[in-house]
Amino acid sequence: MHASELAQYVVTGMLVGGVYALMSIGLALIFGVMRVVNFAQGDFMMLGMYLTYYYAIGFHVDPLLGALLTLPPFFLLGLLVHRTFLARVTGGGDPNREMDAQLILTLGLSLVITNATTMVLSPMPRGINAPYASKAFAVGPLLLNQARSYAFLMALALAAALYALLTRTDLGRALRAAADDPEAAGYQGIDVRVMHGTAFGLGIALVAAAGGLLATYHPIEPNVAVNFIVLMFVAVVLGGLGSIPGAFVGGLVIGLVQSLTLLLLPLQLQNVGVFVTFLLVLYVRPQGLFGRRARAV
Amino acid sequence: MRRLIRPVAVVLACLLLAPFALLPVPARAADDVKIALVAPLSGRWARQGQLKKMGAEMAIDEINAQGGIKALGGAKLVLREADAGDSVEKAVSAAQRVLTREKISAGIGSWLSSFTLGVTEVAERLQVPWLSLSYADNITERGFKYTFQTSPVSSVQAEQALDLVVEVGRKNNRPIKKAALVGDNTAATVFFFKPLREKLLAAKGIELVADEVWTPPLADATSIVQKLRATQPDIVFYGATNFPDSVQVLQKVKEFGVKTAIQGVGAWLVTPEYVKTIGKETMDGIQTVVAAHPMKGQEELVKKFKQRTGEPFMTQDPLCTYAHVWLIKEAVEQAKSADPKAIREVMAKIDLTSGPAPSSLYPSRIKFDERGRRTGASPIIVQWQDGEPYTVVPTAVATRPIVLHK
Amino acid sequence: MREGARGWLGIAGVLAIGLVLTFALTERYHHRILTLVFLWAAMGLAWNIISGYAGQISFGHQAFFGIGAYTTVLLAAKLKLTPWLGMGVGAGVAVLAAVLIGTPTFRLAGIYFGLATLAYPLIFRIVMDYLGFQEVAIPMVREHPILFMQFEEPRSFDLLALALLGATLVLSRLIEGSRLGYSLRAIKENEQAALAMGVDAFRCKMAAYALSAAPAALAGAIYAHAILFVVTPEAVFGVLVIVQTLVVCLVGGVGTLWGPVIGAAIMIPVSEILDGSVGDRLPGIQGVVYGAALMAIMMFAPEGLFWRLRRRRAPAAVATATGTAPADREREAAPPAVVPGAVLLDVRGVSKAFLGLQALSEVSFDVRQGEILGIIGPNGAGKTTLFNVLNGFLLPEGGQVHWEGDPITGLPPHAVCRRGIGRTFQVVRFFPHLTVGENVIVGAFAHGGTPASAAARARDALVRVGLEARADSLPPALTTLELRLMELARCLATRPRLMLLDEPLAGLSADGIDIMSAMIRRVRADGITVVIIEHTVQALVKIADRLVVLDHGRRLAEGAPGVVTRDPTVIEAYLGKRWLARHAATPHAADLRP
Repeated sequence: MHASELAQYVVTGMLVGGVYALMSIGLALIFGVMRVVNFAQGDFMMLGMYLTYYYAIGFHVDPLLGALLTLPPFFLLGLLVHRTFLARVTGGGDPNREMDAQLILTLGLSLVITNATTMVLSPMPRGINAPYASKAFAVGPLLLNQARSYAFLMALALAAALYALLTRTDLGRALRAAADDPEAAGYQGIDVRVMHGTAFGLGIALVAAAGGLLATYHPIEPNVAVNFIVLMFVAVVLGGLGSIPGAFVGGLVIGLVQSLTLLLLPLQLQNVGVFVTFLLVLYVRPQGLFGRRARAV
Repeated sequence: MRRLIRPVAVVLACLLLAPFALLPVPARAADDVKIALVAPLSGRWARQGQLKKMGAEMAIDEINAQGGIKALGGAKLVLREADAGDSVEKAVSAAQRVLTREKISAGIGSWLSSFTLGVTEVAERLQVPWLSLSYADNITERGFKYTFQTSPVSSVQAEQALDLVVEVGRKNNRPIKKAALVGDNTAATVFFFKPLREKLLAAKGIELVADEVWTPPLADATSIVQKLRATQPDIVFYGATNFPDSVQVLQKVKEFGVKTAIQGVGAWLVTPEYVKTIGKETMDGIQTVVAAHPMKGQEELVKKFKQRTGEPFMTQDPLCTYAHVWLIKEAVEQAKSADPKAIREVMAKIDLTSGPAPSSLYPSRIKFDERGRRTGASPIIVQWQDGEPYTVVPTAVATRPIVLHK
Repeated sequence: MREGARGWLGIAGVLAIGLVLTFALTERYHHRILTLVFLWAAMGLAWNIISGYAGQISFGHQAFFGIGAYTTVLLAAKLKLTPWLGMGVGAGVAVLAAVLIGTPTFRLAGIYFGLATLAYPLIFRIVMDYLGFQEVAIPMVREHPILFMQFEEPRSFDLLALALLGATLVLSRLIEGSRLGYSLRAIKENEQAALAMGVDAFRCKMAAYALSAAPAALAGAIYAHAILFVVTPEAVFGVLVIVQTLVVCLVGGVGTLWGPVIGAAIMIPVSEILDGSVGDRLPGIQGVVYGAALMAIMMFAPEGLFWRLRRRRAPAAVATATGTAPADREREAAPPAVVPGAVLLDVRGVSKAFLGLQALSEVSFDVRQGEILGIIGPNGAGKTTLFNVLNGFLLPEGGQVHWEGDPITGLPPHAVCRRGIGRTFQVVRFFPHLTVGENVIVGAFAHGGTPASAAARARDALVRVGLEARADSLPPALTTLELRLMELARCLATRPRLMLLDEPLAGLSADGIDIMSAMIRRVRADGITVVIIEHTVQALVKIADRLVVLDHGRRLAEGAPGVVTRDPTVIEAYLGKRWLARHAATPHAADLRP
C-alpha cells in the first residue's frame, strides 16, 4: 500500500473523528461532574443543527459561525432543563441509585424532543447546501474535505476553550471539585447544585455546537441522533469517564479506527472494528485511556 | 419543590387527556368502505409514510367526489391510517390494531420491506387483502394468498434495468464495459445487487470493478469514492437508501471529481430534499430505477398533487399508493361487496388495463399471478434534470428524453 | 426473604391474574398487548437478576434476546428444527455467550461494564446484516403449525408468554432466598465487604449472568414468533430492546420481583393505548406523551414505583435508634492474659508500594494462637495497607504471608476469608439496604450451607454480641457502637480463627470503648486470635498482649505493651514524651509492667 494511500485513510479518520470528539466532550463533562448518563444528548445536538439551519436560512449566517451562535441559547436551555427536571433526581449523593432514575428521565426527555420536533417541524430532511461540503483542500496527494476540515479546527478550538475554562478559571476549579468530591466541595462553599446546572448547560451547548458543525455536511432531521449517540458514549467511556481530554481523544480514536478498519475488514463491518477496539482497550485498561483507577479499598 | 408536584401532575394529566379531547373522532357511516394504511408516520421514516398518506388521501377524495363506490350505492371510501413507527413490533401492532378494530376491506403498506413482511403476515391470518409497493422478492415467496405486490421485484428489476441501461449505452455509442456496485446492505438493495453480482453483469460481458457495500449509517464516503476514482467504472449501480449516507456519497463524488453515470436503485433517490441539500447541479444526470413515476399523460394528476400538498413534484410513493387505492376501488366495484374475502377473490383474477390504477404503472396492466406478483411488471428509469426527476425510459411513456452527460 | 411465603403467594397471584386476563379478553389486539406485557416482564426479570440483584447494570442484555430469536428462527428455517427445541438450543447458546462475555467484562465496574456489554449486541447486529440475515421471515407453516410455534388461537401465545413469566418469577424468587441471592445483594451494596466475608464475587456475578441469559433468550424466541413474524437485527439486537427492558424495570423498581411486573403492566398498555388512540391520528404525539410520562414517573418515584409505594405504606419501617446499649454483662473484669500458642500467621518481609510511595517496607512479625496483637503507629504508617495485604485486597511486591503453615500471599479476599481469616473495616462497611440480620447472614454463608443453617448461625453471632434485638432494623438506624458490633457479628459468622479488626474503637464513647473491648476479649476467650489496628493506644494497651509498631511502612518495634511504649524510637516517632508521662501515673500503669 502506498504511503499516501495510508495517509489518506489516517487523515479521513481524523477529520471524521474531530466532530465525534466535540460531540463527546459535552457528554463527558456532564458525566464527569454529575454522573448523569444523558440519553438525550444526541437530541440536543439535533436541535443545535436546526438552530444553525435557521441562522443560515433566515439570516444568511455561515453555519460555522452559526454553530458558535448556538452556544449561548443552549447553555441557557441546559440550565433550564437541569433546574426543572434533572435537579430533582440527581445531586443527592447516591450516584448508583440515581443513575437509574436519570437514565429513564433523560430517555423520556429524548422521546419528547424527537417527537415534538417531528410534529412541529415535519420529518422532511433539510440541508444547508454549504459550498464547501463538496470541495476539498488538496494537500499534496491528500484530499481534505473542506467542511470537515473547518469542523475539525473548530472542534479543536472549542475543546481547547473548554479545557482552559476547566483548568485555568475559578469556575473550572469549582466544577472539577464538585466532580471529584461533591461533599467536600460543599464544605468549601461551592454550591454543587449550581455546578451541576453549569456543567449540564455547558455540555448541552457544546453538543449543540457540534451539531451546527455537523450540519455543514449532514442532513438535518428529527431522528439524526440515533446515528451518533452510541458512538458518543463509546468515545466517552473509551477515553475514560470524567476525562475531557479523554473524550476528545476517544472521539478521534473512533474516527481513526473506523477508517483504518477498512484496511482489514470489509466496509460492512466497519463499526465492528470500532466496537472490538473499544472492548480491547477496556479489557486492557479498565478505566479507559485517561481515566483514573478507583482505589481498591 | 414538593409544592410543584400538584401543578406538574395537573399539567401532565392535561397533556395525557388533551389529545383525546382535541382530536375529533371521525364520524363514520356504517356502510363506509374502509381501507387501512399502515406506514411509518412518526420516527425515522416518517417522511416516506407521510408521502404515502398524501397519495392515498388524494385518491380517496377523487373517488368520493365522483360518487364513491357505485356498486354499493355510492358508499364512501374512508382511510384508516395506523402508524408503523420505527420498529417491526410497532408496525405489526399497528396492523393488528387497525385490522381488528373495525371491518377493513383492504390494506396498503408499509414501505420498509421488513415492516411489510410482518404486516402482510397479519393480513394473511386475518384474511384481508394487502397491497404493497415493496420490491423485495421475499414478500411474495411465502405462499400467501392475500398479499399483492404491484412493483416488479428486485431481481427482475435488476435484469430489466441492466437491459435498459445497456441498450441506452449501445444506442448512444457509449457501451458499458465496467460497472460498480455501491450501496448499503438493506434488503431491497441486496436483492437487486445479488443477481447483478452473481450472473447478470458477467452474462453481458461487463466487468465488476468495485463492490462497496456498507452497513448504514455510513461514517465517511472517502474510501468508496476513492475506489471509484481508481477503477473508473462506466456505470455505478447505487443503492444508498439512507438519506444522509446518500448525501455523503454524492457530495464526495463531486468533491473528488469522479465522472461516472450513476444508476440508482429505488425511489429514495428522487425525493425533493436532495435538491435543497446537495443542489440541483449535482443531481443533474443521475438516474434511478423505480417501480412507478408520473408518466406521459399524467400531467393533470401531478398538477393536482402539487397543488394539494405543496410538494415540488410527485414520486413513486404517493403515486403507487394512489394507484393502490384506485385498484381497491375497482376490486370492490367488481366484487360488489366490501367483504375482504370477496375482494381478495376479485383481486386474484383481476385484469385491468384502463383507469387511474393501471395508468400509474408500467405497463398499464394490472393482473396478478398465483404468487401475488403483477404479471409483466416492468420498472421505469427516472432521471434528474434541472432539479426535478423525469421519466425517461421507456421512451413510450417518457416525459422528457434522456440526457447523457460526461 | 423478608416476605417468606408472601413471595410465593404473590407469584401465584400474578399468574392467576394473567390467566384470568388471557381467557377474559377477546380481541386479538388485546391479546397481543397481554403477550407483550408478559414477555417484557419476563425480560425485565431476567435483566433484574444481573442488574437489579447484583447491581451490575447491563446495557447489552439484548444480545441474549437476539441470540434466542435468531437461533430459533434460523434453525427452523434452515434445518426445519421445531422452535420448541430450537428455543432450548438458543437458551444454551445464550448461556455460553454469557460466560464468554462475562469472563473478561466483569473486571470492569459500573458504567464501564454496562457499556462494554452494549458493544456485543451492536457487533452482532452488524454481523447479522453482513451474513445476509437482514430479514428472516418466519415461514408460515400450514401443516402442523403448532409444531412450529404458530398458533391460530392468539390465547396460545398469551399462555406461552405467561409460562415464561411464571418460570422467570420462580427463578428470581429462588435466587432471592438462596445463598446466591444474599451474595449478589451483598456485592451490590458493598463489594469489598462482601469479598471480605467470603463471597466469591466473580463466581456469583457469572452465575447471575448465566442465569439471566437463559430467560432472555427464551423471551426473544417467543417474541419472534408471537410478535414480530420477521426477525431483523434491529428488532432483536437493537437498542429499542434494552430501552424497553430498562423502562419496564426502572419504572417498576429494580432489585425486586414485582418491579418488572408492575413496570410492564403499566407502561406497555399505556404505550399501546397512546399509539392506538392518538398516535394514528396525530403521529408523534404518542411519543411526546409517553416521554413526558416517563419523566414524570421518575421525578415522582426515582427509585421505581414499587419502592416508592412501599416507602409510602411503611414509613416507620426504619426504627429510630432507641439507644439501648447491649446488656451490661459485658462489663466484667478482664480475664487473665492468655499464654500465646503456636504461630498462626507468619508475615515475612512484606513490601508494598503505590506509585512511588513505599507504603510497607519489609514488614515482618508473627501472630500466635490465642493472643490479641495490637498494631499501632502514626497516620500513614501503613496499618490499613498491611491489613489489605493480609486480607488479599492488595498484592505485595515482596514478602510472604503464611497462614497455619500454608502460603496465602496473593489469594483473593474471599479465599482468605474461607481459610479462616476474618476482617472488619476502619469505616464500617455495612450493606445499607439489608437488615442487620441479613447483613450477618451474608457472613454466615461463607462456608456454604442452606439459608436455614446460615440464618441460625447468624442468630448465634448476633446473640454473642448482644444485638439480637436489632436483627430487623436497617443499619442506618444503628448507633456507631451497634454498627461496630454488627460488623463484628458478621465477621464472627464467617467462623474465623483469626480476626483482623481495623480500628474497632474509633468513634466510640468511653462506655462504648469498654463494651467493645470486653467483646474483643470474649471473642479471644472463645478461641479466636485477634489482630487489632488502633489509634487510641491507651485503650489498646489494656487489651493487647503484644504490640507491633509501624512507622512509614517499617516495623519499628514489637513486644509487650509496657516495653514498646517505653521504647525511645517509638516515643520519638509516635507517642511523644508527654504521653508516657501522662499515662505512667494512671491507675492502669500496672498494665505497663515490663
